[in-house]
Amino acid sequence: MRVFGEVSSSQLLEVVWVSLGAGLAITTIFSLVIRWSGSAEAARRDGRDAAAVLYAGLSVLALGVFFVGVVLGVRIMLRK
Amino acid sequence: MHSDLVLWIVIGTALAFDFTNGFHDTANAVAPAISTRAMPPRVAVGLAATLNFVGAFLSLSVAATIATGIVNPDDVTTPIVFAGLIGAIAWNLTTWFFGLPSSSSHALIGGVVGATLAADGTSAVQFSGLLDKVVIPALVAPVLTLVVAGLAILIAYRIVGRQSPGPVTRGFRLGQWVTGSLFSLAHGTNDAQKTMGIMFLALVANGNLQASDDVPTWVVVSAATAIAAGTYVGGWRIIRTMGMRIIKMDPPQGFAAQGAGAAVILSASHVGFPLSTTHVMSGAIMGAGAAKRLSAVRWGVAGNIVVAWVLTLPAAAAVGALTYGVVYAFGENGAGPVVVSAVLLALLAAAFVRRARAQAQAERQAAEPPRDLAMET
Repeated sequence: MRVFGEVSSSQLLEVVWVSLGAGLAITTIFSLVIRWSGSAEAARRDGRDAAAVLYAGLSVLALGVFFVGVVLGVRIMLRK
Repeated sequence: MHSDLVLWIVIGTALAFDFTNGFHDTANAVAPAISTRAMPPRVAVGLAATLNFVGAFLSLSVAATIATGIVNPDDVTTPIVFAGLIGAIAWNLTTWFFGLPSSSSHALIGGVVGATLAADGTSAVQFSGLLDKVVIPALVAPVLTLVVAGLAILIAYRIVGRQSPGPVTRGFRLGQWVTGSLFSLAHGTNDAQKTMGIMFLALVANGNLQASDDVPTWVVVSAATAIAAGTYVGGWRIIRTMGMRIIKMDPPQGFAAQGAGAAVILSASHVGFPLSTTHVMSGAIMGAGAAKRLSAVRWGVAGNIVVAWVLTLPAAAAVGALTYGVVYAFGENGAGPVVVSAVLLALLAAAFVRRARAQAQAERQAAEPPRDLAMET
């Protein structure tokens, strides 16, 4: 269904949901990096070594996902 | 000979537009990072300038697409492009003077539409294209990023709420280096292309190139250099508006605004629905502020920005049409562009001289002791 001229409602909807998904995902993931690295630091201070390693691992994993998102962004630029 | 002169005037004007595009849009990438002290101001504009330069080389899917689908391409002549560029530059300088962020792309489209209307009448303009490429994106971009950034900051506060503020602040400031860089790179891939397109179009129209030729390297390098130089000079008035006058940002808000802005710009590009970086970042900053507290946003400033957006197309079109009228009166392929360029350069020189005199006077007054003190000695 066309909304105006060349712009279709499905294209508009796609812009909305893709933007919403990407925008919320990038902030959520980076916030988790900060939270888990903080938790890892707190656990290390308290001498809870296993928890510290677990949180540090989760933090690194989330950071990796964040950078995968960044690389995807660069790929979109290259493919335009 | 005359056509070569006009060609070089158009190319010079296109590079001047590219420069104003750079300094006008610096704020989109750096304002949140400067405002939250994630980066020192000069480092922020230096990084943004470098990434805009690099971005200009990343995507050369150009180029002769200026106002495609909005005006009939067969009706676009070199003088029309010249008049359109003047309209866009005039609007960019006006909004910069008042510290208002507005879309350089929409200003350029407005300028070209105005010049085309003056040259060929309404039959040469496709108004449905205007709706699709200007009006709808201008409505969608700020509302969408307002919502995305608003939800993003609520999620961020929820996740890091119980952490100690020091690491949270440092963490989000570091994150802003990445999201700000992504935004600058995206800007370079979008906006430098417009100038390359105009220069390429002028070279084809003048017979120097065929439409099927590749974009010459000197065109790519000069467009990249102009936008990077403009970005480095920095439109500080607009940076102040976006970084400090709309909301007072903390690092999580700065990250949410930049992250949401970059995500929306790239998602829209991916779907094939390009949005204005200015509209996206302005909406994101308002969203990041409003989600925390509605009264945190200075709605008066936001209102002025929206008024500037509404006026962009008609104002640039009016200047474009007027410029085309002057060019036509003096001769489209000879004296017209020369006269307009000479008058504009004279006006710019006068403005610079006036500003230099005012600065010198202010410095003299600052150096002189107060009169009553001087009397006593």
